[in-house]
Amino acid sequence: MTSGDRGGLSRRRLFTTGAALGGGALLAGCASSSSGSAPGGGPADRVPFHGHTQTGITSLPVPASGLLASFTSLAPDRGALEEMLRELTDEIDGLMSGRPPRVRDPALPPEDSGLLGAEPPPDDLSIVVGVGASLFDHRYGLAALRPRELVTMPFLANDRLDPARSHGDVLVSVQARHPDTVVFALRQLMRRTRRTLTLRWVLDGFGRGSAPGESTTGSPRNLLGFIDGTANLTSSNAALMDRYVWVAAGDPEPAWTAGGSYLVVRVIRMFVEFWDRTPLAEQEALIGRHKLSGAPLGRASEIDEPDYRADPDGRITPLDAHIRLANPRTPETAGSLLLRRGFSYTRGFDGAGALDQGLAFVCYQRSLEAGFLAVQGRLDGEPLEEYVMAEGGGFFFALPGVRGPGDFLGQDLLRT
Amino acid sequence: MPSTGSRQVLPLVGVLGAAVVVLAACGGAPPAPPAPAAPAAAPAAPDRTQMIDQAVAQYEDYVRQQVADTVAGTRVLTDAVRAGDLEAAKAAFAPSRVGWERIEPIAGLVEEIDGAVDARVDDFAGVEDPEFTGWHRIEYILWEQGQTAAAVPFADQLDADLQTLDQQIRTLRIPALDMARGSAELIEEVSQGKITGEEDRYSKTDLSDFQANIDGSVAVIGFLRPALQASRPAVLPAIDQGFADVDAGLASLRRPDGSFVPYCQENDEYPSPLCPAPTVTTQQVDTFKVQLAGLSEDVAMVPGVLGLQ
Repeated sequence: MTSGDRGGLSRRRLFTTGAALGGGALLAGCASSSSGSAPGGGPADRVPFHGHTQTGITSLPVPASGLLASFTSLAPDRGALEEMLRELTDEIDGLMSGRPPRVRDPALPPEDSGLLGAEPPPDDLSIVVGVGASLFDHRYGLAALRPRELVTMPFLANDRLDPARSHGDVLVSVQARHPDTVVFALRQLMRRTRRTLTLRWVLDGFGRGSAPGESTTGSPRNLLGFIDGTANLTSSNAALMDRYVWVAAGDPEPAWTAGGSYLVVRVIRMFVEFWDRTPLAEQEALIGRHKLSGAPLGRASEIDEPDYRADPDGRITPLDAHIRLANPRTPETAGSLLLRRGFSYTRGFDGAGALDQGLAFVCYQRSLEAGFLAVQGRLDGEPLEEYVMAEGGGFFFALPGVRGPGDFLGQDLLRT
Repeated sequence: MPSTGSRQVLPLVGVLGAAVVVLAACGGAPPAPPAPAAPAAAPAAPDRTQMIDQAVAQYEDYVRQQVADTVAGTRVLTDAVRAGDLEAAKAAFAPSRVGWERIEPIAGLVEEIDGAVDARVDDFAGVEDPEFTGWHRIEYILWEQGQTAAAVPFADQLDADLQTLDQQIRTLRIPALDMARGSAELIEEVSQGKITGEEDRYSKTDLSDFQANIDGSVAVIGFLRPALQASRPAVLPAIDQGFADVDAGLASLRRPDGSFVPYCQENDEYPSPLCPAPTVTTQQVDTFKVQLAGLSEDVAMVPGVLGLQ
């Protein structure tokens, strides 16, 4: 597991119990930094690759650049699938550990694109691999081993999923401080796997959501202008991760899934021009937080907790405000906490001349039903839907970690 | 047209064999610190040089034959255009291109010919641009305009341009490096232009070009096989398997008479006159993509394996 305390990073533990309950807020967290530290400001480091869980899910600091690449597997059989996962494992290990590219005769194509020079810098690079429900179809004889809750992401409230930008057999999530590191890693990974994997969709972005103090970019704001991630689960808190993120050995799941995590990707388009024309007070009422400070409505600071019990009629925070629906902060909803690891994206403009921007919402959880689906159910019909729409993404299962040299991603799945 | 006589077969002495050593070192060797790689100076075995010379000579014959076939096959197309026989012209379109598509990278050694005979409309301001000539202008007129009359001047010009190619190719010396690289370029052609359906967008005959590109790549590897066997035979099984896999996929898309189904992908718009329904599944296209990707990686090694620089 990756840890955390790298130079200069001052992670606040103010949230151990109460504030951690805020993990459900999908779009907007909130907050103004109350500590004087530069969040995640230490020198970039290498994220160790080996672990019981995939280290990039919880590595800190959360680096600014992210990319999701979804692939279709054309591996003709289970043996070829295993070969692909071994190649992927070896390349990820090499990338994360900084293995220098081998030198070939100049008459041959170089093994490495050279984007990062002779010695690729650490750059907090990490890579996470997940698999979609489709991998458990008839092709590889894995149907009986499908994680119990893993299905093809259905159309949920307000969705307009584009099949060309949704789902996939294999999802690769790359994160690093700089976009060129992300691109470098993607090209190396694809080079190793292009005999079996073909791209289905790709999305990259910046300003990753994280709990206060965990990001290299301060408290990142999403493209609605609200600080996002204030109430996120603190990924350095192993007990919280065990409770909410990792599938455990005793869970009602196939044994191989222990140490894995359900991974939800929602490509949430934001109608930013429309949003920018909305009065500030209305924006804040829709989200439930003050825009600039990030404080819950009626409070002063990002890290203050909203007190909904004192506001049963929604006079301060409307009952249908995004953060109140996402995380009502009641005992009954305390189980629906998620670890968010998303980023903002921008990819040109649409046929109407409107900017095509939004949030690649990414979250990890131990149970889809207790986690994302519970939160999404509460958000169904929220007024914010007028400004946002899910256009893609998918449900995946982040594989358990690679425990040591010789192991490979998905080993317990394929060797069960 | 400039003389192509200055293109010479590259001297190979001193380069052959160097790649073999390095390649062997790549398999499971411990990471080496980055450093400029010095080509090994192992002297080339003269018989390998002769093998490559012989491969080039055989390939030059092959190229000349393909150009001759193209001239003859295109004449069937252009005669039909001039005779006003629309259906005969359409039927002759794909076959007329086979020889050309087999040797397309080599035709690039003849200046300006590719732009004259095989440019796509994307290279021009529009379909009415007078500079837009060759097969695809004719294809546009036959299928989109449904007539032959407007295609007559372009048919005449295509014949003339191919005659020029035929003349020039007779004296063209093909450098071994261009030959070896051409094999990879043909795979890239398929990966970038054919698989997308953009090459023959009006006639939907992309699969015929696809097969011809593969045939041309197979031919190069065939002529180079003795030299590859002598240099690094380990590269051949993967390449052979790759070609066999692609050929099998293509064979499944042939009609009983041997011709290909129109290339109608699932994400095209339906129905259209040539494509009442998809003929190729996304799964088939994706399978081609990964097969071609693997072939690209393998065939890209060939020039270096042979020490050609």
